[in-house]
Amino acid sequence: MGEVELSCRAYVKMYLHACLFPRCSINGLLLSSSSAGGAVCVTDCVPLLHSHLPLAPITQLALTQVDVWCSQTQQRIVGYYQANACVSDSSPTPCALKIADKIAEQFNNAVLLMIDGGKMSPDYRVPPIVMYERKDSRWTLKDKHTIMLRQWEETRAIASQMLESGDHMLLVDFDSHLDDITKDWTNQKLNNKIAELASPANGNV
Amino acid sequence: MASVSELYDVGWEEMRDKLRKWREDNCRNSEQIVDVGEELISEHGSKLGDDIWIIYEQVMIAALDCSRDDLALTCLQELRKQFPDSHRVKRLSGMRLEALERYDEANKHYDAILQDDPTNTAARKRKISILKAQGKSAEAIRELNEYLEHEAVSVLYQSAPCFPCDFHSYGKAAFCLEELMMTNPHNHLYCEQYAEVKYTQGGLENLELSRKYFAQALRLNNRNMRALFGLYMSASHIAASPKVGAKVKKDNMKYAAWAATQINRAYKLAGRGTKENKCSVKAVEEMLESMQITMS
Repeated sequence: MGEVELSCRAYVKMYLHACLFPRCSINGLLLSSSSAGGAVCVTDCVPLLHSHLPLAPITQLALTQVDVWCSQTQQRIVGYYQANACVSDSSPTPCALKIADKIAEQFNNAVLLMIDGGKMSPDYRVPPIVMYERKDSRWTLKDKHTIMLRQWEETRAIASQMLESGDHMLLVDFDSHLDDITKDWTNQKLNNKIAELASPANGNV
Repeated sequence: MASVSELYDVGWEEMRDKLRKWREDNCRNSEQIVDVGEELISEHGSKLGDDIWIIYEQVMIAALDCSRDDLALTCLQELRKQFPDSHRVKRLSGMRLEALERYDEANKHYDAILQDDPTNTAARKRKISILKAQGKSAEAIRELNEYLEHEAVSVLYQSAPCFPCDFHSYGKAAFCLEELMMTNPHNHLYCEQYAEVKYTQGGLENLELSRKYFAQALRLNNRNMRALFGLYMSASHIAASPKVGAKVKKDNMKYAAWAATQINRAYKLAGRGTKENKCSVKAVEEMLESMQITMS
């Protein structure tokens, strides 16, 4: 099937989400601000839960709210990510498949991304992710060569740097938002930090 | 690198009290516990008196969490010297072996404890956790079931709801939560979690139960946002169901409307003054509008 590109911002936030809750299963949604057709560009992600992933109400709530936010900001939900608490097992759980199915109903080229906890050691060289795509109503492993992370070395460096300086503590997922609704699950602050680190030489806004 | 006491301008008593608070609240902020605990033990160990033993235990467990085996071993050795025959310390040894993924040796430790004391809940819990960590989910559930059938111990139930949920045994999760609610009737989190399980199981009867328990959770804590949203969603779904009579529909629309007002109010309050939350406030408003059930 088609190519999938993962942006720095999306990767770093997923990575920090997994690092913030190392003993929990975590999940979230992958978003795109590009127009449909051609490669799927995952430009952002929304971290959702770190507890009780298989329970329905909060997941439904989160999906609805993110959907609404996407339509307000010209984005769309193009995929789902999850990291299992059990590091040795990075296969999609039934709840992951269910949510991914729902997303695929609205977007044909949806992707299911599993973070491979076993590959997240400090000196890892390859992106610790496994991607699935929908073929013939089943989620099948995607060909690694169709997955692109532009400037991977830079992205990896940014993720490590932010983890070391404790920036992962700034990340707000939907679960944390419900514990304190003044917290922003769109993570604008974190997005700005990532943007700063990604382009130090430019005088961008 | 600056010490904790320098960075935060605290004395050793404050550090000791912080550790106690984290113990009492069952916090798992292991990095912080290691930072504070390590300094407290090395610089002020002599001032702690008998408190030092429980601090060694607390720091040891936190150190395992942070892969600080050096620190964990130091604490463990002190505890072993002081309490040579203790089951509690033996369990800590087992936990260290688990952290090093030496599961067979860890199991031997726990089996030894259980031989001496078959009612030792902590050791049973650890054995089940090992199965879970090894990905042996079916065996883990079997052990858990067996244990739950013979012992009604809330300590075990507490970790139990997450467990069956992970493996989609919602019925078991509900059972554990029912037991927990009986022994902890004022705990709004159990009520809310039970409601979520019922909602997930689906069907009209379960939805009505879930609505009742979301409402109960709110009575116990009127700031539980999950319960508020849960009440809104369950009542809305019931009202929209073709199987309910006019009165039930009307009642549930009232509940849903009430919940919606509370939600809106909470978000307006939260959004006041902060630009950041404009998106969440707007998203919730739109969501509530789109989910509104119209009178037919």
